[in-house]
Amino acid sequence: MATESQESRNTDETAHESHSGLLHFRTVERILSLSLNTTAVVLIGFLWIPLAIMIFLSFAENTTTIFPFEGFTLSNYAVTVSDGAMWNAVQGSLLIATVAASIATVLGVLASLALTRYAFKFKELYRTFGIIPMVIPGIVLGLSLRIYFQEILGILPGFMTVVLAHSLYGIPFVLLIVTARLYSFDESLEEAARDLGAGPLETFKDITLPVIAPAVGAGFLFAWIRSFEDYIRALFLSGPNTNVLTIWMFSKIKNLDAPELNVVSSLIVFGIAAALAIAMNFGNVSGYVAGTVTEEEEA
Amino acid sequence: MAISDRTEELHSSLSQILTTKQGKVAITAGPATVWILLLLLAPMIFMVIVSFLEVSRETYDIIFEPTLKNYQALFDSSLGFWESPFVKALLLSYGIAIISTILCLTLAFPLAYLLAKRGGQTFKVVIFLVLLPFFTMYLVRAYSWVLMFGQGGVLNSTLLSIGLISEPIELLNYGVFAIIVGLTHAYFPYMLLTLYASLDGIDFSLVDAARDLGASRVAVMKDHILPLTAPGIVGGSLFVFVPSVGAFITPRFLGQGKVQMIGILIEGRVNGGYAIGYASAASMFVLISIVAAMVLTFRYVSIEELGGG
Repeated sequence: MATESQESRNTDETAHESHSGLLHFRTVERILSLSLNTTAVVLIGFLWIPLAIMIFLSFAENTTTIFPFEGFTLSNYAVTVSDGAMWNAVQGSLLIATVAASIATVLGVLASLALTRYAFKFKELYRTFGIIPMVIPGIVLGLSLRIYFQEILGILPGFMTVVLAHSLYGIPFVLLIVTARLYSFDESLEEAARDLGAGPLETFKDITLPVIAPAVGAGFLFAWIRSFEDYIRALFLSGPNTNVLTIWMFSKIKNLDAPELNVVSSLIVFGIAAALAIAMNFGNVSGYVAGTVTEEEEA
Repeated sequence: MAISDRTEELHSSLSQILTTKQGKVAITAGPATVWILLLLLAPMIFMVIVSFLEVSRETYDIIFEPTLKNYQALFDSSLGFWESPFVKALLLSYGIAIISTILCLTLAFPLAYLLAKRGGQTFKVVIFLVLLPFFTMYLVRAYSWVLMFGQGGVLNSTLLSIGLISEPIELLNYGVFAIIVGLTHAYFPYMLLTLYASLDGIDFSLVDAARDLGASRVAVMKDHILPLTAPGIVGGSLFVFVPSVGAFITPRFLGQGKVQMIGILIEGRVNGGYAIGYASAASMFVLISIVAAMVLTFRYVSIEELGGG
């Protein structure tokens, strides 16, 4: 860490009374803040350079290397947009993610209500098992579900098995965000509604749901993204006719079919950038993320 | 109308159920319980069972007769215990995951510190630049490194054409180094955001006060900042270490067959030959090591602290 090495250099500077000491102190402050800023810039460069080069190549005649540069073109985009298999894969993934995230959201919100509002046996165990689908490595979850579906239930891998796996995988993301919101929610509002004669369903619909709606939305979004970007679970659980974008992309990467990959990947970055910019203007995205930083185990 | 009658009826019977405490718990906790029992517990238990069974090589049917063959196969090899593919893959996976975790921690700490100390517009821009790769599909990020590395990849070819090197550097080819870079890039945002969440709770005026009273920077770091961020450090390390051990995509593409991590080994045994007994036995060890890592972690941090905000 750059900060630490800078700091260790002036353990002995404690006398700021003297003029030279003050000067020394200021220089050190400046060096420290400069080195911190440099680290930040270098790190953001590390995060961005590969993505930036990929986006650059999507607009270039070159496919995998920058030099010698052969000029700009949009033909990569034209080729990709007219690829029917790619669109099928996108549609398949959109459908899987939407259905799976919807199931995960309903189950996750109900489970959050149970965890925050009622006392019951094995509550801590319940909470732990609600988090496990997110922590368990994708390859282990995918393998166990594949064997289970095929050997015990006799269900062949296909659309439904992927949706079921992803709906389980999405529950923890909803659970973590919504329970956090429910804990900070003023329960006396619900009690007041019930005292005034509202039934439990009305209370939930008119009082609780509007308050937790942003958290529910964020949970749905997280579950949706996790499903959409998952490869390893889908690999084990999809059949030959299941359209999944990540599986389409995987086979392209395997053959290093760069022109189309560069374009699809760049379009994904653009789409997410737009969505994120909008979301950050409307809601506290960084708060949700920082509060619910979670496991990826894409594996 | 029949339909509205039906909804009316459903509504009233639901309200009926919701008047009792058991009814409330059943309705709210029930559905997820069914999912967890049927899609998490049952498959896991069955996987444990399969790891003690044999699978016919001809028909791919499971032979229901207890055996330890799968576990023996993990550790047996003509070259001895340490040379068996499973032991080598497991140790390599741990090694790579530990290095990636340490790299993420040392890289993310200064940036998280900076973000927590400064607010305002710069903060928003930086957090956007960090969150965007975080939300970008994992596969896309892995692919972007496939372009960078390799004998003729962007890094090597650029260095060649600038004239800094005269022939491709082996370090920049696909291999262990590329995998470590790829994993660090993939999981860096998790570490950063976890550290930021715990650093954000620090009152920096107290830090300034300690400095004014004569505490050295090292002392402030050691006595105040590090203890307060310890849960974040432990949690962030877990978020990097666990997925790194079981990683598949990154070693698949950035190792290009030269590096056999545990995820690659398991996938290969299942999709080439349907050796689900061997793969289940291998998965058990991955699971056990991850449970151990989590138990160790939760001795220091609670689940809510990590996830509940």
